[in-house]
Amino acid sequence: MLPLLLSWSVGRGSDIASSDRVFFENRIRPVLAQSCYECHSATAEKLGGKLLLDSREGIRTGGESGTALIPGDPEESLLIHALQWEHDLEMPPEQPLTPAVIADFEEWIRRGAPDPRSGKKSEVAGKSYDEGALWSFQPLVQDPSFSTKDSRFIDLLIERQWEESQLTATPRATARELIHRLHFDLTGLPPRYGEVVEFEKAFSAEPETALTVLVDHLLDSPHFGERWGRHWLDVARFAESNGNDGLSRNAAFPHAWRYRDYVIAAFNEDLPFDRFLLEQVAGDLLPADTPEQRDRQLIATGLFAIGTKPAKAMNNNFDMDIVADQVDMIGSGFLGVSIACARCHDHKFDPITARDYYALAGMFTSSETLYGLAGNEKLTAPPTDLHVLKTAESSLPPADFVETVILKESATGKPKKIPAPKWKPGTPLAMGLRDRKEPADAKLNIKGDAKKLGDPVPRGIPAIYQEKEKPSAFSIPEGKSGRLALAKWMADPEHPQTARVYVNRVWMHLFGRGLVDTPNDFGVYGARPTHPELLDHLALHFIDQGWSTKKLIRSIVLSDAYQRTSRVPDSLLEQDEENLWLTRQNRRRLDAESLRDRMLAASGLLERNPGEGSLIQHRDILVNLAGNLHEPSRHRSIYLCYLRNSPPPELAAFDLPSFLKPVAKREASTRPGQGLYLFNHPFVFTQSEAIAENVLKLESDEEQITRVFREVFLRDPDPEELYRGKELLQSIEDPDRPERAWVAFAQSLLTSNEFRYID
Amino acid sequence: MQQLDRRHFLQSTSCGFGYLAFSGLADAASTERKPLFPARAKRVIFLCMSGGPAQLDTFDYKPQTGKKPHPGSVYSFSQHGQSGLWISELMPETAKHADKLCVLNGMHADTGIHAQSFLQLHTGDRLRERPSLGSWISYGLGTPNHNLPGFISLNTSRPSVYSSAFLPSIHNGTPIGVNGENMSEATIRNVDPARFSLSEKRKQLDYTQFLNQNHASHRNDPAGLDDAIQSMEMGFRMQTAAPDLLDLSNESPATLERYRVGAQKGPVGTCRMSDFGRQCLLARRFAEAGVRFIEVNHGSWDQHKNHRRDLEANCEVTDAPIAALLEDLEQRGLLDDTLVVWGGEFGRPGLTPDNGKNETGHNANGFTFWMAGGGTKGGHVHGATDPTGARAVEGKVHFRDLHATILHLMGLDAEHLTYSHAGRRHRLTGPEGGKVVKEVFA
Repeated sequence: MLPLLLSWSVGRGSDIASSDRVFFENRIRPVLAQSCYECHSATAEKLGGKLLLDSREGIRTGGESGTALIPGDPEESLLIHALQWEHDLEMPPEQPLTPAVIADFEEWIRRGAPDPRSGKKSEVAGKSYDEGALWSFQPLVQDPSFSTKDSRFIDLLIERQWEESQLTATPRATARELIHRLHFDLTGLPPRYGEVVEFEKAFSAEPETALTVLVDHLLDSPHFGERWGRHWLDVARFAESNGNDGLSRNAAFPHAWRYRDYVIAAFNEDLPFDRFLLEQVAGDLLPADTPEQRDRQLIATGLFAIGTKPAKAMNNNFDMDIVADQVDMIGSGFLGVSIACARCHDHKFDPITARDYYALAGMFTSSETLYGLAGNEKLTAPPTDLHVLKTAESSLPPADFVETVILKESATGKPKKIPAPKWKPGTPLAMGLRDRKEPADAKLNIKGDAKKLGDPVPRGIPAIYQEKEKPSAFSIPEGKSGRLALAKWMADPEHPQTARVYVNRVWMHLFGRGLVDTPNDFGVYGARPTHPELLDHLALHFIDQGWSTKKLIRSIVLSDAYQRTSRVPDSLLEQDEENLWLTRQNRRRLDAESLRDRMLAASGLLERNPGEGSLIQHRDILVNLAGNLHEPSRHRSIYLCYLRNSPPPELAAFDLPSFLKPVAKREASTRPGQGLYLFNHPFVFTQSEAIAENVLKLESDEEQITRVFREVFLRDPDPEELYRGKELLQSIEDPDRPERAWVAFAQSLLTSNEFRYID
Repeated sequence: MQQLDRRHFLQSTSCGFGYLAFSGLADAASTERKPLFPARAKRVIFLCMSGGPAQLDTFDYKPQTGKKPHPGSVYSFSQHGQSGLWISELMPETAKHADKLCVLNGMHADTGIHAQSFLQLHTGDRLRERPSLGSWISYGLGTPNHNLPGFISLNTSRPSVYSSAFLPSIHNGTPIGVNGENMSEATIRNVDPARFSLSEKRKQLDYTQFLNQNHASHRNDPAGLDDAIQSMEMGFRMQTAAPDLLDLSNESPATLERYRVGAQKGPVGTCRMSDFGRQCLLARRFAEAGVRFIEVNHGSWDQHKNHRRDLEANCEVTDAPIAALLEDLEQRGLLDDTLVVWGGEFGRPGLTPDNGKNETGHNANGFTFWMAGGGTKGGHVHGATDPTGARAVEGKVHFRDLHATILHLMGLDAEHLTYSHAGRRHRLTGPEGGKVVKEVFA
């Protein structure tokens, strides 16, 4: 049904070795686009030196200084001379590229300058595009020569590329490495020591069976939903407060946690992703068989109410600021297209116009966003209604609860009078969306200013998705916002991006890097897929399997590619330093939540039952007035209170995102603050103490050290680790407080790289 | 190649590992780099006056002209120093350093909305999260002191004003005291050595690093692992360096008195408690220790309804500490290469004398910044507003120009200090670019 028939063919560079194409797309094209096209492309305002670098033909013809490159001979190529800044020409003029990038260009020319760009241009939305630039708008392509029913399709598509470059992959990881990797990837928690020992045994007898049993066991674990739900909450920029509104006010979202629980349950139940999308975008408009289902679908629309927004005070654009966040969720979160940029003007690079933006925006201006009371401070946001749930339990604050955060009148300093909420105390409520009584098209905001209005734009999908010949097949029933039609269009199996974007996220969480390295941007300036055929076949397989996340993950983790060791020989490191060709697994650092959860698991203090509700579930307050709201907890990190601008202190140091917009990928930066946290935070001491307490009653040093190693590293120490461990213990010995040395010892292990990284 | 050497180093030093200097392993991202051209300043202390300081009652003297009363200065001004700089009676201590000040009276900004202009002052952009000035400088120059962060923001507000945004996160500002936290207790998070003595912690870390070394030696690519090893070492060093710097107990009572540490009795209207003296003294100590960019904050200068009362309080709280800071920097020979910058997100229109009004609003069309040290002219005025102080008419300086000028004084070129992100190259001064105000160079 999807009207997407664009007038050019798929630019897959058929006569170029795929490894060369990957090299070009990842190392060469982005540099050309970022550093050269401004002056050396058909769209340059003033063409520099009559040299075009935006097509194969142009770069080979050269400009007024002569031929730009001689395939196979970097030393004699003018392009390299210019990049080196050692001859007359110095390019780019501002500053030289890094030596590594110049080396890539030399390598590329040495390979014969393979270039998939045909120079054919396409006109879309008033802009001219390279062939292949709009790859993600093309339909998914099924290679007729093989089937995704072949259980090795993932490996076949990866291994194809190695023959040409004569790459050799690393062998399968050890049983120990595999059980660690699978536990963290599927549940975010470590195995227990006994499970490792048992698995090693089973694996040495029958490796395939052992793996399949383990994978199925983990997919069934309730911790699966906590792990994968957390990944989705990143995309959902989930938070339990608005964040600083620009006037330092930060209103609580006391009901946001219901959306968190909805997401966890959705992943545990393996709710098909198309349905998951439908419920979040238009759950309020879907029929429901039961009151439970109705409630659940209303909660799902919370996705569009938990965004951050600037203060209402003196802000004419307030309503449209909310809509911008919602359109961004559609664009970056689901489609991988940066639509939100077109709020003020046609997109600079992507084929999205301001009209396209307002066509989508109209569906959200035709919907009410129910975010709640906004801390009872109208200057930050006017209060709104909330969904009243029918089947959730009534939840009253504890009898002795007294709100200590009080708003004051700025003039008199006296407590403000807060109107009583319209709901009976304890009424279960949820954030979300609902259609307005009289939906209407949005008017174009000229330069994004809600005071300068242009014509109304009929609600609909961006023009690039519409067939040229006939009007859009997309239609909105009379009196409806259009969100349901939008959701159905997005969840259509023929949509070119929805499945690609989602499977790429799943791949990223299992390999540490997506097949497309910019998971929120599949547009012109996003990264190109390293493995386009694999991406498409994963997406097709995913749709074929009923949009099942669990089945998708199962297929991936049972592939050879996933199970390879991350330990890389020097030769391979030289050939493929970044592991673009997937010849091995990637070593990964535990994210903030997994590190904290792993510490709790090691100490034995982890409370494995789901956390209930939220620390702020009864508090419609401005959290900026409250000081530190966080409290120590033994539940998994996902149940901590995710306040914007006031993150849980146990997570803050480890690249926790700010959740102001959909998170593409977590950073893994190293900062001294992390060291400081590991040295001095009470949470780390609490876990170290619990471990120390467990070993104090044991007899010998060796037994004790071994016990700590088993709890923390899930293995036995080697002789040198024992010997040096004893040295450390002796140097901290304190006869009055024998536990001190053990606390220090346990902390040493908890802060080590072996604990913080997964092979 | 360097990575192989490093691995070799890790493998070959199994004994007394942790005691080895890690200088050779210093994080590449923060290693000190040479400026593009000779720098006049090596570090910046930004005295951030949030809320919009009333320039006409502090540094931009607008006496009455003609017969009809018009908006202007409502406090008395006099000339100071050899340069004869006009400074108001509200800044008697700062006035003693008139010959050090380079006053920019022609500042202008795009908007009178606090949040937007405050963000633009810090990052060049009014709306989006972009790297802060201090982050750009840290990115451009690295930091000479590996025991401390390169960019520290005292008594700060929302993270977007000290964020490194898309720059590597090592260039993020390190906050000390956020959102009005009591400054006498504010510190770098988790920096105080807890539970174990530093020598015990060193032994613990030695064991951890021994485990890390073993771990790394079985893995060919040290990516990530080395960084983690180094960040633990830097974290360890910060535990010794930072608490010492934050501890003012070895400062003499006379110094504490000069800076008025802890002297503020309570908030007065919009003038909040900021322990500004402590902030200035800490700024001096961080500057001495080699921190690249230090921001101190006081607010709010947004004294709408009680203009006189609140302005007097703001001036009283900040005047003496600023004077003490300038005095100390000069006395230690640090003023030559430390650039001190004073100002806020915009200014205010003037009151008209004797008309009974005591309320002021925002003015982004003309306001004042001043600089001192760091290669700027002392006792100098650049730019001017019209006779009522309503708008800048001469020597106009936008935030973009201010940023370009500060970068230039640091030996960096705003045009060329760029970072590629999301498909285009970004710079602090944005697509418009900024003009270096060379007239202020000594």
